[in-house]
Amino acid sequence: MEAFKQLSAGIDHFISTLLSQTIYGNDLVGITQYHFYIALGIILLFVFVFAGVKKLELVPKGRFVNIFESIFEYIQNSVVYDVLGPQGRKHLPFLMTLFFFILINNLVGNIPGMKPGTGTIGVTLALATISFIYFIVVGVKSQGVFGYLKSLAPKGLNPIITFVIWLIELFSTALRLITLAVRLFANLFAGHIIIAAFALLTSLFFIPLLQQFTLGNLVGAIPSIAWLAILVFIWALEIVVSVIQAFVFTILSAVYIQIAEEAH
Amino acid sequence: MSVIGYGLAVLGAGVGIGLAAFGAATGTARQPEVRSNLFQIFILGAAFVEALALIGFVLALIK
Repeated sequence: MEAFKQLSAGIDHFISTLLSQTIYGNDLVGITQYHFYIALGIILLFVFVFAGVKKLELVPKGRFVNIFESIFEYIQNSVVYDVLGPQGRKHLPFLMTLFFFILINNLVGNIPGMKPGTGTIGVTLALATISFIYFIVVGVKSQGVFGYLKSLAPKGLNPIITFVIWLIELFSTALRLITLAVRLFANLFAGHIIIAAFALLTSLFFIPLLQQFTLGNLVGAIPSIAWLAILVFIWALEIVVSVIQAFVFTILSAVYIQIAEEAH
Repeated sequence: MSVIGYGLAVLGAGVGIGLAAFGAATGTARQPEVRSNLFQIFILGAAFVEALALIGFVLALIK
């Protein structure tokens, strides 16, 4: 099959475009494409927020404000208050900022031709580091440095077993940084490649028909309808995944904060 | 080769997420009022399982 041979070359080319490319300045000081997409995401978020709060009312009437408020309330209740309890209010601004930043950057990638600002490991690692430092600081603040380190292992066990569990827990705490970053990055990266694969298949099967109109080419173009249907389905799935990944990142940050706060 | 390895690795994650969804569905059928709590637990469980599969994905890309 000619089309499938071209597909693998096309995918390789597409993956190379996903890497960070400098669009202005040089490699050391310059603007890469992901700077551009993140800036776009932040501008969109500001536009949405300011459009939402332009006219503050006690009972908001606009549809736009209501959509915004219902998302906010859902995250407030199901992430912050369910996980952290009523005293989670002081972490609400941090978690909500995290959620909306990741959400808007994930959704920007679903506009055809755009790439998600969070689809590169550098950005997600930075976000994970912020969350990691935040929950460690919360733990140290509420229990003190030694108290926090001691709280990693459960109390009331034989000292040797406690030490082994403490080492394992220390390792798993350090691993949280990597899993938080890799989860968000890999979901968006993989989703983008899958969308690209089906878009390429659709066009590769259709191109011969455009070049020359024959019966053979017409029959050869029929699978392209199926590819297009799968493409639309995967695209819708990716929009759902974008929202869920923002939710997962926020809820995991909340869970880590809760673990750090409570004494074992 | 790495693709085959990743395919094998993802089997486990598939079973894991399937089990999480099974638990959430059964729990909802028995007690519909705890649906939102179960959804939260399901998402958390799926996220932890999925992390392993995604680490495999990244390793397959790096080789």
